[in-house]
Amino acid sequence: MKLKSILFAGLMATSLVAVGPAQASEGHGVELKHAKVDTTDREQLRRGLTVFTEVCMGCHSAKYVTYKNLMDYPELALSREEVDELRGDKPLTAGLITDLSPEDAEVSYGKVPPDLSVMANARRGGADYIYSILTGFEHDPEGKIPDGNYNLYFPGNRIAMPDPLSWLDHDEADTEMLEQQAQDVAAFLAFIADPHQNERRALGFWVVGFLIVLTIVLYLLKKAVWADVKH
Amino acid sequence: MLEKLMQTRLFKWLDERSGAEAIIKSQLTEYPVPKNLNYMWNFGSLALLVLTIQILTGIFLAMFYKPSAALTYGGYTVAFDSVERIMRDVNFGWLIRYMHAVGASSFFVVVYLHIARGLYYGSYKGPRELLWIIGVVILLIMQGAAFFGYLLPWGQMSFWGATVITNLFGALPVVGEFLQQLLRGGFSVGDPTLNRFFSLHYLFPLLLAAIVGGHIHALHVVHSNNPEGIDIDKKDTIPFHPYYTVKDAFGVGVFLTIYCYIVFFNPQMGGYFIEVDNYTPANNLQTPPHIAPVWYLTPWYTILRSFESKLLGVLAMGASLAILFFLPWLDRSKVRSSRYRPVYRQMVILFFICVIVLGYCGHSAPTPTLKLVGQIATGYYFLFFFALLVLPKFEKTKPLPDRV
Repeated sequence: MKLKSILFAGLMATSLVAVGPAQASEGHGVELKHAKVDTTDREQLRRGLTVFTEVCMGCHSAKYVTYKNLMDYPELALSREEVDELRGDKPLTAGLITDLSPEDAEVSYGKVPPDLSVMANARRGGADYIYSILTGFEHDPEGKIPDGNYNLYFPGNRIAMPDPLSWLDHDEADTEMLEQQAQDVAAFLAFIADPHQNERRALGFWVVGFLIVLTIVLYLLKKAVWADVKH
Repeated sequence: MLEKLMQTRLFKWLDERSGAEAIIKSQLTEYPVPKNLNYMWNFGSLALLVLTIQILTGIFLAMFYKPSAALTYGGYTVAFDSVERIMRDVNFGWLIRYMHAVGASSFFVVVYLHIARGLYYGSYKGPRELLWIIGVVILLIMQGAAFFGYLLPWGQMSFWGATVITNLFGALPVVGEFLQQLLRGGFSVGDPTLNRFFSLHYLFPLLLAAIVGGHIHALHVVHSNNPEGIDIDKKDTIPFHPYYTVKDAFGVGVFLTIYCYIVFFNPQMGGYFIEVDNYTPANNLQTPPHIAPVWYLTPWYTILRSFESKLLGVLAMGASLAILFFLPWLDRSKVRSSRYRPVYRQMVILFFICVIVLGYCGHSAPTPTLKLVGQIATGYYFLFFFALLVLPKFEKTKPLPDRV
């Protein structure tokens, strides 16, 4: 009976969560490409930062990430000199904010480019989505949407962002490099969306490990205390 | 250990002035609990644990959170910025916030299982009617508190969820519009809404703490039900302490292991505990393609959506919760536990499945098929309660044992 009730509880609990995966891939029918992303890989994150500051920041901001953060986060650990070079005359505590004004952006692209600080959390698929979008520019098979605004992975396919990595009609020889750039910046965005994630997982390993041991001890204690109860 | 502590002079001093010894004896060391409770009886203590986690983490979050919808750079707001500041700059702010967010969903997992246990083993029946009613009040306040809390980050789901739910009140005749404006503090969801929701989000858990006290008091008057559902012979009881304190402690260990695993390794739970769209700042000019409440409110959302008329939907949703108050009198059978009620057992298991189906339908984007499924599930939800009125006329219950 006891086992049954545990199973019952487990079944209830999992069925509440199990409806998950079917939903996760829901969207507009196109399966995202898988991005090789490691938010603990300092080299990849730094390459991603470079793509971000040199390409994305032309239009986009990441206002929750400050120049000082780039020095302080151990995953990036830029030197003072590197940060000084990046920020120019902006204060160290300023966020990574684009020089493009919202008004000019509106005129050029019809909308203000969204802030990218939490973008990896704000889209289903996270880093995979960002990687797919960046390498998803194609010619519209129906010829309706102009080149540079057609994206295979964007909902509705019409995207206001013009092909930032010049993926469309790129040289065959550049494919690998562009894919790498897209994955690197996806890694960087996945990192800044939750900058304490590596610390969190590292700490979680000890917390959960401790709790498993504690739970085993408590189970043995329970058995000992209950030894004299007859069923 | 407790006995030794009770021998100390300090305790004696305390006891003469507070009657502490009598309380400890009547509530713990001599409080009788049936010896045959299974692990489904662990969820009450777990609910109390999660409530405590929510209140403690909430106090710290409130020290850093700013309830203001004033716009900041990039289409964000002061509220959204303060949440991100907690996540990034406050020492261990990320831990406290994830504990709170995962805690909200855990609270509902635990409480729904607690309620399911009550339904399965007939714990709502006499003499525990009042205990059950207080429990339903707790459920309603919890749902309110969770709903108010979800507005606070001021993301897209916060904003549109609050818009949809406050809209419901507008469907009520005569007082509807007044109620809706009172809730919103204006004609639409905005800064005044955020401020009053924050105030209420802080108030409701305090109410919960008090009412949970009443729930436990009511329990300790009528004592626990048990899997057999029969009245317990004094010889078949064991004292709460140490037997059930240690069993609950083991349950706490299992719970915390799972809870911390989620907090540390998957705090958004694939968009189930923190919805993906809520990382986009609230925008009153852009409706998200699919608005869905967080999973724990979706079964009731489906009941709402199952009716063409908004008023009927609202009334049905209200009725689906209100009917829980009357359950002790709707169920006419003298036998409590499903173990001795073969028909009820099938019915209640189907009811659990039906609530999960309702939840699934409410979470998914509406399609004609899902709508029909939702309507059938809604139908069964109500049928279950009313069938209980006549069920004893048809159901052959199994003979009850004298002792457990």
